[in-house]
This record gives sequence, C-alpha cells and structure tokens, in this order.
Amino acid sequence: MLNMTLYKREMKGSLKMLFVFAAILSMYVTIIIRMYDPEMMATLDSFYQAMPELMASVGMNTGATSLISFMISYLYGFILLIFPMAFCILRGNGLIVRYVDRGSMVTLLASPIKRRTVAITQMSALISGILLLTIYTAGLEMMIAETNFPGELAIAELLKLNASLLCLHLFIGGTCFLASCIFSDTKYSIALGAGIPALMYIFQMLANAGEKADVIKYFTFFTLFDANGIVAGESSAVIGTLALLMGAIILYTTGVVVFCKKDLYI
Amino acid sequence: MSVINVQNLTRDYGLGKGIFDVSIQVDKGEVFGFLGPNGAGKTTTIRHLMGFIKPRSGSARIDGMDCWKKRDEIQKKLGYIPGEISFFDDMTGKEFLKFVSDYRNLGKENRMQEMLERFELDLSGKIKKMSKGMKQKLGIVSAFMHDPAIFILDEPTSGLDPLMQNRFIEVIAEEKKKGKTILLSSHMFEEVERTCDRIGIIRSGKLVTVDSVETLRERHMHTYTVRLDSPHLAEDFARDFEGKCNGNFVTVAAKQSLETIFMNYYGGEENA
Repeated sequence: MLNMTLYKREMKGSLKMLFVFAAILSMYVTIIIRMYDPEMMATLDSFYQAMPELMASVGMNTGATSLISFMISYLYGFILLIFPMAFCILRGNGLIVRYVDRGSMVTLLASPIKRRTVAITQMSALISGILLLTIYTAGLEMMIAETNFPGELAIAELLKLNASLLCLHLFIGGTCFLASCIFSDTKYSIALGAGIPALMYIFQMLANAGEKADVIKYFTFFTLFDANGIVAGESSAVIGTLALLMGAIILYTTGVVVFCKKDLYI
Repeated sequence: MSVINVQNLTRDYGLGKGIFDVSIQVDKGEVFGFLGPNGAGKTTTIRHLMGFIKPRSGSARIDGMDCWKKRDEIQKKLGYIPGEISFFDDMTGKEFLKFVSDYRNLGKENRMQEMLERFELDLSGKIKKMSKGMKQKLGIVSAFMHDPAIFILDEPTSGLDPLMQNRFIEVIAEEKKKGKTILLSSHMFEEVERTCDRIGIIRSGKLVTVDSVETLRERHMHTYTVRLDSPHLAEDFARDFEGKCNGNFVTVAAKQSLETIFMNYYGGEENA
C-alpha cells in the first residue's frame, strides 16, 4: 500500500515547509495567547464597536470572555485556517501533478510499483504533514496557555476544537490532492486546488461580515467548521465536522482512482 | 510467442495525429529497431507498452501480459530509457540511483557499479546541473541496473558523444547475446542499422514497413566500388570515406538520410 522509500523522500521534501509554517504559527499563537487579558477585552470590544464588519469578517467577535473563546476569535478565524491551507496547496500540488508535468513520474512508474501505491504514498505524505502541523499547534497552544495562564484553558474543548480543525484541513488537502490527480498541468491544478479553498474563504469572510451576505455561508465549506459550536458541544457542529471528514475521504479516494485510470503523457 | 506484442493498436488524437493500426512483434533475443521522424508515433506506441496510456483499440502485451492491467508485473523485468529524461532535479546522481534501487527494492547485487564504470559517469553533482549527455547516461544506468530481460529504449543515445554512442551499441550487442529482447526507437538510421535485427519504420502514425536490416540496406544503401591508382591511395580513400579497402579497390556505401528512405516509401508524393 505504501512505498516507504517514496514516503521518506516526500516527508523530507515537506520538512522545510513544515518548519517555516511551524515557525509562523508559533509566533502568532504565542503572541495572541499572551495578549489574553480579561481587562483587555474591553479595549478589543471597543475596536469591535468601531469597525464591526472588518473585525467580524476575520472571525473576531465580541464577548470573548474565556481563554478558549478568545483563541477561537483571534486564532481560529484566520491564522489557523490560512497557514495550514497554504501548506495543503503548496504540498498537494507538489505530490502528483508536478511529477507528471515535469515528466519525472516516469521514474516512479517505470518500476514494479502500482499506481495505486504511488498515489496512496503521496496522499499519506500530505496527510502526515497536515497531522504534524495540527498536533504541533495543539501542543504549542496548551504549553503557552499553561505557562502564562495556568488552569485557564479548557483542555478537552481545545482538543475537540483541533480535531475539528484537522478535519477541515484534511478536506482542504483533499481538494488540492484531487486537483493534483486530475490535471497533468501544474497551472490548472493550482488554479483549482488553490482557487477553490481561497474562494471559499472569501465567501466565509463575506458571510461573516454582514447580515445581508449571510446567505453566502451556504456556499462555503468553512461553515461546516463551527469552532464555537464544537466548544459548546453542539451536535450540529459535530455533524459539520463529520461531513468534512467524510468529504475528505471521498476527495482522497476519488483522487487515487482518477490517478489510477488516467492516461499519462509522460 | 513474441515477447513484445502490439496488435492493431490505434490511438487517434485527431488532426491526423496519433497512431493507427500499429502491429509489432518482437521475439525473445531479438533487437527491434523502431525508426521514424519526430512526432511519428514512436513515443505514443512506447507509452502504451509502458502502461502509461490505456489502449482505445487494439492491444499491447509484453510476455503475454496486458501492458495496462499488469504494468507493475511487467516492470519487474523491464528496463526503460525515456525519450525525454526528467529525473528529480533536487537530487545528486548518487542520491537518485540510491532512491531508484531502494524504490525498486533492489538488493546490493546489481549492475549499477558496472554500468557507471562503462559509461564513465560522475555522480557527485546535482542532476539539475548535469548536461544532457550526463542525464542520458544516468538514464541508461538506472534502466540497466536491475538487469532486466526486456528493454524499451526510446532514443537512448541522444545527447551522447560518438564515443559513448559506440559504447552503448556494444552494450546492446552484449545484451542481445545474453538473449535479451530489445525494442530500440531512433531517428538515426545508422544506429538501428548497427544494432538491430529487424526494423519497423513508422511515419505519421502508420507502420510503413517492417523488414530485416539486410533487406532495407540492400534496398536503400547504394554501394559503389571504385578503383584508385595505388593501394596507398586506396587506403587513404577508404579511411576518409569509411569504405572497405581491397587492393586498389575501395567499396563505399552512400548513407541515405532517413528522410530519403521515407521518400522512397512515399514515392515523393508527400513532403518530408
């Protein structure tokens, strides 16, 4: 099912990018958690009063009183969505379509290795990257929160929140992976694999910003990731997360099947 | 039974592009030359044999196995040099060969070292920085190192200097002696002429002729015997024109370009 030689090569290829993203996330997570100060909330609320649409569009809402809802407002609306998404886009395209486009897929297929094995190996490398990034984020959040505000963070809720976030990113990764499998040309794969998640995020921003644009939320998969709902234990939020997970499984499976069946002009 | 068996293979890309009703049989221990100009359909045929493209009509089989369905089985005993070499640019030559041998799960007992020595390839540099010829050598080594029984070689000597081209032809001759089956595509008549038993000529996607080298040579290579004034002059003449010297007589062959041979097949009605 998996070719370890190829998997190792791909993980080595992800390493540099993972370090960069981990560094960016470390910086933001540290700064933002340390900004938490119940008294500061008043100041932030005043920003919200001044420019509600702008603040809301990036998921920053008023009334964040607990540490976890503070984190949801300031991390899970933008930073923890955008950066792992960028990782999915960059890596998803590198794993299949780049080999086909450059012709180096010949090396992988002029060998007694099934196409399915190649596709599943590349998929595993992408999923591993997403997993590492999410686990790192969760670990970092707990560490920073515990050192700065001992006992303030609801650990169980944070883990649920990150599990839901993981499903969202697996879904985004699945979109990029499928695009990478369908196209033989990097530019089309990027157009679709990066275009869809980016457009969906813009829809999400619009839906957050105003009541009139609220209907847009039905046109973006980001709606399925309901951070506040997950923490509150709402069943609709759990269903949303499961929908993302199911969607991800379908996207990856379709990607593998498409890659196994397609003609390769390599 | 033929080792490589292509039956009525057709793949129409539209606008006259593609391959049409191509049938090729290569027997065990035979070297088959697949000759044709650029864009004639050599690579398309080979892609079918490699299982990169699924046949729309007709079939491609190697060792009796369907090239699309049993690609991974076939690849165990197949060595392939692609027409357009593209490896992992980020690796050095050494890392690349290590990757390929691990990826294929080859043991320590392989022909890598032998081939490296024969082709005098230095593996230390990044593949990105390698010249066309060096990449070609790397392709040769990676196609030969698992000692396959069948070879599919798509313009294998392109980019090699004449010395290395000769060395490659020697290697092909040795493999043939060992009973290996080889399909070699080329656009150079001399190359296939020196190595192959039979030659198939493809043009515009159609197999124009399949013949033994002798037949094609007789038909298309005119030889002349000239008498010179002295054996000494004859020797010089033979050296300069690659002829055979016999006393005062020298026999030289006029080498025709591939295009000229095609013109013979098409009676000049189509422009090359």
